[in-house]
Amino acid sequence: MIEIRQLAKTFIAPGTGGPRFTLKRPAPRIVQAVKQVDLVAEDGRVTGLLGPNGAGKTTTLRMLAGLLQPDAGRLHVDGIDVATRPRDALARMGLLSDARGLYPRLTARENIVYYGRLQGMPRDAADARASELARLLDMTPLLDRRTDGFSQGERMKTALARALIHDPPNIVLDEPTNGLDVLATRALRDTLRFLRTAEGGRKCIVFSTHIMQEVERLCDTVVIVAHGRTVASGTVDELLAQTGQRDFEEAFVQLAFAEDLARHETTHEDAA
Amino acid sequence: MTRASFTGAALTVYLKELRDALRDRRTLLVVLFSSVLLGPLVLVAISGFIANLEARAERREVLVIGLEHGPSLRNFLERQTQTVKAAPADYEAQLRASKLQDPVIVIPPGFEDALRNGDAPVVEVVSDSTNRQAESGSHERATLNIVWRGLSTDLLEPLRVEERDLASVQTRSTQITGMLPFFVIVAVLYGALNAGLDTTAGERERGSLEPLLMTPPQRQAIVLGKWGAVASLGMLIALLGCFSFLPAQWLLRSDTLQAMFQYGVREALLFLAVLLPFAAAISAVLMAVAIRCRSFKEAQANTAVVVLAVTMLPIVTLFNQSGESPWQLWVPALAQHTLMTRVLRGEALGPEQVLVPLAVCAAITALGIWFVSRALTRAAIR
Repeated sequence: MIEIRQLAKTFIAPGTGGPRFTLKRPAPRIVQAVKQVDLVAEDGRVTGLLGPNGAGKTTTLRMLAGLLQPDAGRLHVDGIDVATRPRDALARMGLLSDARGLYPRLTARENIVYYGRLQGMPRDAADARASELARLLDMTPLLDRRTDGFSQGERMKTALARALIHDPPNIVLDEPTNGLDVLATRALRDTLRFLRTAEGGRKCIVFSTHIMQEVERLCDTVVIVAHGRTVASGTVDELLAQTGQRDFEEAFVQLAFAEDLARHETTHEDAA
Repeated sequence: MTRASFTGAALTVYLKELRDALRDRRTLLVVLFSSVLLGPLVLVAISGFIANLEARAERREVLVIGLEHGPSLRNFLERQTQTVKAAPADYEAQLRASKLQDPVIVIPPGFEDALRNGDAPVVEVVSDSTNRQAESGSHERATLNIVWRGLSTDLLEPLRVEERDLASVQTRSTQITGMLPFFVIVAVLYGALNAGLDTTAGERERGSLEPLLMTPPQRQAIVLGKWGAVASLGMLIALLGCFSFLPAQWLLRSDTLQAMFQYGVREALLFLAVLLPFAAAISAVLMAVAIRCRSFKEAQANTAVVVLAVTMLPIVTLFNQSGESPWQLWVPALAQHTLMTRVLRGEALGPEQVLVPLAVCAAITALGIWFVSRALTRAAIR
């Protein structure tokens, strides 16, 4: 189970623009990437983190992975505070970030087993688990090939297997379907559905995306993030009911872009 | 769930990085050929050149123009057991074209008269200064001048012998083998360079750094494993480089050089002892420079400064007329060069000479590893 409460993060980006060839640096820009994100993901459910580009999804997930320190708020993984025990939290999560580089000179199996070893698994156990995951992800023929020259789909499968090597109870995926074709996307969806079931281990799955169909087809709960804030959460049906829409895309636009729409209308009125 | 211990995680990273680097066959081969083999090859080439000089010296031939003007000079040269030969008429053109390897003595008309009158007759020794082989005989001009000012050659001979004996055999040989330390230092640098960049900037460029940092092991364990692998490669190249001069020795064509170049297993081991701490330090430095870079290319541009420093520092010793100074031991690369030169000269290494560079290398290594760990903690993300 993953709980995110009142999360906030501000970046100070080095200043850009202004006259060049001067010694004085332009004033740094302050970017508030995450203002207030709340999310609760239960075991045995797929929770979708839905939001437009730049809404703060990736920043939120990086804070969950302990790569960034939040300015405010709390992150808990199975009751473990990420801020105080990041390594225990990481051991209970399988993370697939948007950077999913592999080592091209190593085989898929070596890539996967390396992460198993880093998670503290004995070599034999990691090796057996890699074969098992390869069956689950339908990538057994790839397993002993070097990853140099893998297709996007093959890379994704390898990276996912690498993230799941230690059989974590929580799985966090950042835009996993990016760059995948229809078949690969469907295969991934089936895998996630299986992992949610009792025989799949009743995993707690958090899945960030900006694609509506993904959410409608897969997610049990949806958390909509816009401008660094959680603006709505619930099942797809609940969100439809909340907005009075029949189409989920309309509901999403209404929820995520309410501020922008309002501003847009005011400017129009001013112009008129 | 079990968790990898600090050493377990470091060892996992170490073994993976080593395997990864050793699979990069093409880079390894380039390093092997360009760095490890270059030193011995140059040594063998120089030995060929020296053997050629020696052969010409043994022939004891003198090329002369205008022999008919100076019978007494001819007599003098033949008494020195030189074979006097007439030079071809177009000797100037031939010298310029480097076809003629020896300088030519030109005896002017009226030479005998001048000699008889007690004037110092002028004898020209013609060589082309861009023709290195002919140039090598030009010191004879001075000898000739002295002779014809009426000094006895008997006085001259012991003078020359004494001059040569000022230096010990080993000191003289370092003039030729002095570039050896330079070659092995550069070999170690290039051995560590590629792996150093690949495990830091390369990892970031591939997008594999972020997933790696999302695993439980401490950053320090990861960095230590990576550094260990890079340093091991540098040390492996150091080992190959130091011992490659042993077989190269058998190929030396010049007997003199072979006698002078005293490089045995003892010297190889001393070289290695000097180079291993250097390999550790340079690996840490390369990684520290590269960790801030977003791509392999950027890292290559940044580490060019390190490469330049390591290759240029030993050149200081060429310009430094005052000889070895104590401060040289505190400068990495320069210190190793100085120590290896001492080893070649057959001089003993005192405790200070061993401990100071060792301490400097250890400090640099620790600093580099600390810096890389800190950089990973702060800026894990692309």
